[in-house]
Amino acid sequence: MFSSINNRISQVHLTSDVKQTIVAMLGVTFGISMYIFMTGFMSGVNDTQADLAFSALAHVRIYNDGPADNSNIARKVFPDDIINVRNAKVIKYTDGIKNSTTILSTLAKQKDITGYTSQVNINVFFKNAGNKVNGIVSGVDVLNEDKVYGSSKHMIQGNWNELKYRSDGLFVGVELARILGLKMNDNVNILTSDGVSHNYKVIGIFRTDVSSVDKTKAYVAINAARQLLGVNQDYVTDIQIDMVDYNNTQPLIDNIKSLIPYKVESWQMGNQQLVAGSSLRDTIARAVSLTILLVAGFGIYNIMNMTINQKIREIAILKAMGFSGSDVTKIFLTQAIIIGILGGCVGMVLGYIISRLVNRVKFEIAGMYHLPMTYYPHNYLLAFAFGLITTFIAGYLPAHKASKIDPVSILRG
Amino acid sequence: MNDIILKADNIIKYFYEPEKFQVLKGISFEVKKGEFLALVGKSGCGKSTLMYVLSTMDTDYEGSLTIKDTVLTKQSQNELAAFRNENIGFVFQFHYLLPEFSALENVMIPALKLKRYSRAEIEEKAYKNLEMLGLKDQALKRVTKLSGGQQQRVAIARALINDPAVIMGDEPTGNLDTANTQIVFDIFRELARERNQTIIAVTHDDDFAKNCDRIIEMKDGQMV
Ligand SMILES: Nc1ncnc2c1ncn2[C@@H]1O[C@H](COP(=O)(O)OP(=O)(O)O)[C@@H](O)[C@H]1O
Ligand SMILES: [Mg+2]
Repeated sequence: MFSSINNRISQVHLTSDVKQTIVAMLGVTFGISMYIFMTGFMSGVNDTQADLAFSALAHVRIYNDGPADNSNIARKVFPDDIINVRNAKVIKYTDGIKNSTTILSTLAKQKDITGYTSQVNINVFFKNAGNKVNGIVSGVDVLNEDKVYGSSKHMIQGNWNELKYRSDGLFVGVELARILGLKMNDNVNILTSDGVSHNYKVIGIFRTDVSSVDKTKAYVAINAARQLLGVNQDYVTDIQIDMVDYNNTQPLIDNIKSLIPYKVESWQMGNQQLVAGSSLRDTIARAVSLTILLVAGFGIYNIMNMTINQKIREIAILKAMGFSGSDVTKIFLTQAIIIGILGGCVGMVLGYIISRLVNRVKFEIAGMYHLPMTYYPHNYLLAFAFGLITTFIAGYLPAHKASKIDPVSILRG
Repeated sequence: MNDIILKADNIIKYFYEPEKFQVLKGISFEVKKGEFLALVGKSGCGKSTLMYVLSTMDTDYEGSLTIKDTVLTKQSQNELAAFRNENIGFVFQFHYLLPEFSALENVMIPALKLKRYSRAEIEEKAYKNLEMLGLKDQALKRVTKLSGGQQQRVAIARALINDPAVIMGDEPTGNLDTANTQIVFDIFRELARERNQTIIAVTHDDDFAKNCDRIIEMKDGQMV
């Protein structure tokens, strides 16, 4: 096949006007490298955004959503009658999750989960001297919390694991520390909504770069939080779950929903704006790069058309000697495909180089140092595939036209 | 044994540009296998037009054309292309070669397309044809580097490469000097006599025509 006369003719056409071949190739190269750069950059931005978001957000969260609204029980029995209950109230039965051990053992059996951690979150007032600030104390399972959130990375003072051993120790967000005027080893008083008050010692300061967290949050060991509330060892308020693929939370939720009598919520449900932002960026990246590929495709189309007009006599001669229409299509389509493959390979390399360069541009906001970039192989393959499809189509149209050339009308002159 | 190789039956052709005009007015004739035929006539009488019809390239005509017992009228372009490749060698009035290839490759291409022989055999045969036409040392040159007469001979070598049943030439010696015309004539003569190939050649050269087996004369789109 490779040594066939059709391929030999394609080869001669490509090499006899190298400049034109290179120009056509550069069109593909440009399109593919831009596609790679755009998608790499956008998914870099998305990943950074996700990292940032998931430093304060788990992929799936289990919590007590409050009791069902049973204030109009009569309606359930007589749905069509007019029933008026005056001054109905939602009665508070339970608070938090009581039987966390059974839930955790259910989770342990699920696949696609990379980690989970229990929390006892309490709304409190932080008090230091005259300052009083509203915030949250999060009682955490020190090891698992770090696994799910990478919390130890955020410590700017103190050591994350120390929380395990210090029931009176507390880590405080950097902004909260500033507002309260707290430094390491200072004491801070905490007051719960039930009026319980307790003193803790600041043994660490963290910064997540999510300002709402840095401004309001403090960590204590989970048992210290239970003590503060006066509840037993099985009590938690939240179970946070991390998954292999954060974009694919629904199967897990469908699996465990019926097994767990509490609210199971994915991050997507609670954070529609993040989902929208990331899919908008993806859409923009795709639109821009497909436009570029389209332009490159037009370039190839034009050059192939030009080539075929230049070679119209030769095509007529080939047909006069007995080459069929499909031979002619093959000859020119082969040229387009070779241009596509060469341009695509160079484009992948160029795209990688551009990505590397942009990845080195300084960008020091929100915990970043450089512009974000990803190098997922599937983006490179996709770019190559799109490039090939574009050249195939752009090459096929003129090649098909060439196959329809009537040799006599050309040769008769 | 049917020794009629080509049969044209009442061939009629019109040109519609710039106005409707009948070029061929019902041409009928038969050619025997191994015959060396000359087609003569004044310029503009329709010889080239007839040759394009006979060569199967022009399909826009009335009447019927049969070569090697195959009725070619109304066959598809691709079927005709395959038939031409195997059975018809054509030498154009103007030597139509592929300018980006060497003389040798130009000669080889129809055979590489046909794939009856291996590449090495084809190359050997192409060399032999070029040698026969006095072009052995020009074989590897690009055809654009050759003179008009040399190019015409390359085109003849190409027409012979697949041992076609019928060789058609539209003034094949038009660009050649007397010596080369003689060479081409001798080759045609030999192909007809020894290999039983059929030759139909348009010519203005009276000497050339005189020595053929038969002369067909055309006038205003008709045989005389
Ligand atoms: N493509 C064409 N369109 C219209 N008329 C044509 C075309 N080709 C040739 N003719 C006319 O047809 C007639 C025959 O032409 P041609 O077959 O080339 O003559 P010859 O080869 O005998 O000199 C001429 O009058 C010529 O002007
Ligand atoms: Mg003529």
